[in-house]
Amino acid sequence: MLNFFQLIIIYAGIYALMAIGQNCITGNTGMLSLCHAGFYCIGSYVTAIICKTMGLPFWFSLPVAAVAAGLVGFLIGVPTLRLKGDYLCIATLGLGEIIRNIATNVNPVGINSVPRAALFGYQFSSRNKLTFILLIWFFVMIAYVLFRQLAHSRIGRAMIAVREDEVAAQSNGINVTKYKIGAFTLGAAIGGVAGCFATAYTLTVSPGSYTFMVSVMVLCMVVLGGMGNLKGVILGAFIIEFISYFPQLVGLSSVIPAQASQVLYGLVLVIMMICRPQGILGRDRYRYGSQVKKGARKAAGAKEA
Amino acid sequence: MRKTIAMLLIATTVIFGVFANGSGESAASGDTYVIGFMGPLTGDNANYGIRCNNATQLAVSEINAAGGINGKQLEVIAENTLGTTEGAIAAYEKLVYSDGVCAIVGPVFTGPALAVAQRCYEDGIVMISPSATHKDVTSLGDFVYRTVPSDALQSEVAAHYMYEVLGYRNIACLYAMNDYSQGLALGVQETFTELGGTVSAMETCMVGDKDFRTQLGAIRNSGAEAIYIPNYTVEDALILEQAAQLGMNLPFFSSDGFSDPEIYNLAGDYTDGVMYVGPAQAEASSILADFTAAYSAAYDGDQPDSFATNAYDATYILAEAIGRAGSTDWSAINDQVKATSDFQGANGTINFAANGDMIASQGVYYVEGTTPVYQGSFQIVDDAIVQVD
Amino acid sequence: MDTLVQYLQYLVNGLTLGAIYALIALGYTMVYGILKFINFAHGDILMIGAYTGLFTYTALLGESTNAAWMLIAFFIAMLVSMAFCALLGMFIERVAYKPLRNANRLAPLLSAIGVSFILSNGAAWLFGAQSRRFPYPFDDTPIMLGGISITPHQILTVVVSVIMMVVLTLFVNRSRMGKAMRATSLDQATSELMGIDVNRIISMTFAIGSALAAVGGILSAFDFRVYASMGTMTGLKAFVAAVIGGIGNIQGAMLGGVILGVLESIGAPLLHIPSALKDTIAFAVLIVILLVKPDGILGKNEREKV
Repeated sequence: MLNFFQLIIIYAGIYALMAIGQNCITGNTGMLSLCHAGFYCIGSYVTAIICKTMGLPFWFSLPVAAVAAGLVGFLIGVPTLRLKGDYLCIATLGLGEIIRNIATNVNPVGINSVPRAALFGYQFSSRNKLTFILLIWFFVMIAYVLFRQLAHSRIGRAMIAVREDEVAAQSNGINVTKYKIGAFTLGAAIGGVAGCFATAYTLTVSPGSYTFMVSVMVLCMVVLGGMGNLKGVILGAFIIEFISYFPQLVGLSSVIPAQASQVLYGLVLVIMMICRPQGILGRDRYRYGSQVKKGARKAAGAKEA
Repeated sequence: MRKTIAMLLIATTVIFGVFANGSGESAASGDTYVIGFMGPLTGDNANYGIRCNNATQLAVSEINAAGGINGKQLEVIAENTLGTTEGAIAAYEKLVYSDGVCAIVGPVFTGPALAVAQRCYEDGIVMISPSATHKDVTSLGDFVYRTVPSDALQSEVAAHYMYEVLGYRNIACLYAMNDYSQGLALGVQETFTELGGTVSAMETCMVGDKDFRTQLGAIRNSGAEAIYIPNYTVEDALILEQAAQLGMNLPFFSSDGFSDPEIYNLAGDYTDGVMYVGPAQAEASSILADFTAAYSAAYDGDQPDSFATNAYDATYILAEAIGRAGSTDWSAINDQVKATSDFQGANGTINFAANGDMIASQGVYYVEGTTPVYQGSFQIVDDAIVQVD
Repeated sequence: MDTLVQYLQYLVNGLTLGAIYALIALGYTMVYGILKFINFAHGDILMIGAYTGLFTYTALLGESTNAAWMLIAFFIAMLVSMAFCALLGMFIERVAYKPLRNANRLAPLLSAIGVSFILSNGAAWLFGAQSRRFPYPFDDTPIMLGGISITPHQILTVVVSVIMMVVLTLFVNRSRMGKAMRATSLDQATSELMGIDVNRIISMTFAIGSALAAVGGILSAFDFRVYASMGTMTGLKAFVAAVIGGIGNIQGAMLGGVILGVLESIGAPLLHIPSALKDTIAFAVLIVILLVKPDGILGKNEREKV
């Protein structure tokens, strides 16, 4: 029970990283993208190839996974990001599927028996979940702090300006394309890091795990938690993972049919959305620095937007 | 809104508490042996998972009706792998650490099986897969077994049978990009070419594709004498039907995915003349017939496929091993599964090789109309096909 | 065989496939035109349509083998399934999307994903996970035309799709209701001021889209069988088709569907690459189309944001 709860926390950590990346793209900059499964896939494969095929340590694969996913994000971003709204959504969806199809065609079995991550001789094994939780949530915290700083910086404000009104942003001297591609690359890189940790935990990559549903679930986490709200998206990741594995956690899965628990999952999604359409923690309210008082926040937000 | 959320949270906690106690008890009680089953119970391939689960449940209830194991009842807990690595690992954690099972039947598909096999090997708990055919599944060594022949054996028998018995010299393959289908197709290609034959077309599709007319058109142009289709049931049915609609009348040769009786509902008359490699049948034994009848009676007339039959055998092998071990000790059970000798199951006599693979022969079937006719069981000895019975 | 004949065969197959995609794409495009929202559960409605059609057809047919009655029963089953899906579509809209009409644009998307989970897993639960065959209501012996085989069900698919699309075009362009629909999609607030009952129009849009999906589901069941997750991939491709044609544009959806179907069928052999990559080619070409025409082939150029 406790063990299974720890597993959920690990999965939630992996997805929280992805949700942070997706939030940077969709929440902050306002681009509807559906290819996080693709970045996740690239991160996972890079880690598996570096650790298994090349025999290099995990810590080497972590930055490579981030760079590889970021690079693919950049290459995808440059031509597609001039598309708007749902057209961007469909283009990225297609690219996510293309990445998965290529992975499947190269090797449909995937890679198994990937060596474990180790730190100073200590191996992060799936049996000792507590250390793995510390490892993954340490990185979630780093990502949280970095992206919060980013959102409050000049760059972050520019990204929000792009989201709110591209024309207005452009006329204020913001290079819209540059910020869009930047946000997309950064979000993709974090997706790659998530894939890296997923491989470190499951020690197996198989192309069947990177379906378009993964991208959809990551987007759900962002919308459910509250778009642009970093705390919200981490909470969203936790909630989605929690309700997906809830039946197994409490032993319901051995009592009710498997399809029924999936139906319940769908029902919970609909109910949550109807109850809190703006996300559980609500959307981010843009703040002018951090010294503005609570009462003035709304006015400041309106003025800036 | 806040009230609603608070209510939901409270409800969650309450359910949490109630079931937490429930599951704790079942693992702790000493008068039952608990085994686990894992397979895809929802999603695209749920069909296979559900059938294997049904067969496992059936075997367990038969064992219990016959007095259980050493007077104790056997219980099986089924978990859904969702067909993904992540889902399979979660199911494994739940079964082994929350439910405290002493052995596992499953996973059904190779991808999850590879992930779970590694955990089983490291943690030292027995898993018997009824259907993961890829050669790597048993490559780790101990604790991992299967009651399905490795696809290496199946593809050798298929290639030799097509070359030596049927006399084809030029064939084409149409396979899906997954471990099962690709493993078989590449195996057949290798063996068939070694024997001196030509594989003139290797056409591929993605799992879930339903339109094969483009691939069939290319095969028609390749001049092949026969088509090897190592695929799952629905895909096999669609390939046969679409080939007929394109006016092709080449002979088809298929794999154990064809052994699902559902094919005759899905493909109708198009199955006439198809040959396939399937499980070897126990000669002069009524176990298979009894199992099929009992399964059909228990599940509304549904018919078991060969993977379900394998799951049925796997459960009995486990039950016997647990009985001989006389405890829930994981390594004692492993020793006893390994010591299984000449187990008489629905698929005939089963022994395990040192790596956990089944030592088996393969059956070949010829479909007349909608009735499969058993042609005998075969093994490969010194690069030549030998009929064993 | 002659290469030309072979490619013509691919073209015929692609056109049939495209007709089905087009029918389903219409539902996506109509809903999007009015609500600016992707109805993710549309693919699962087509699955429900196929099941309803199958059950009605087998119930009506009973033991009968009368050729005329088979065909009549098939069309009755199709109408029943259309009616049922229309009601289901309206019901889903009322329960899951209407409360979110004024929320941010992604909230109904999430709700739709939930609905899609409920429908597909609910169907697997009720009807089982195995595929079922939709029996042909006629003798499906292929007709050979100079080496090209055309089956009667392919002809039926194309004829029914064309009829549906013509009726829909006439309805949207000529009828009062269609006029109101177009007005609503142009400007919801203004049309409300002009006395149009927007709620009714939205309900109607869902009903029509779902009814068309039901037809698409039944027609695709001939080729692909009936199973609980049949709507996922077909729905996704239809959605892609709708976007390619210019989402919100009815003619665009039809064009997009046909292009996608033909691409899928002919793309891999034309480029001499493995057929398993046919979806990859289809997606790649679509991205290229979008890069050249960022608003889809027939889309109107307008700004929008998430």
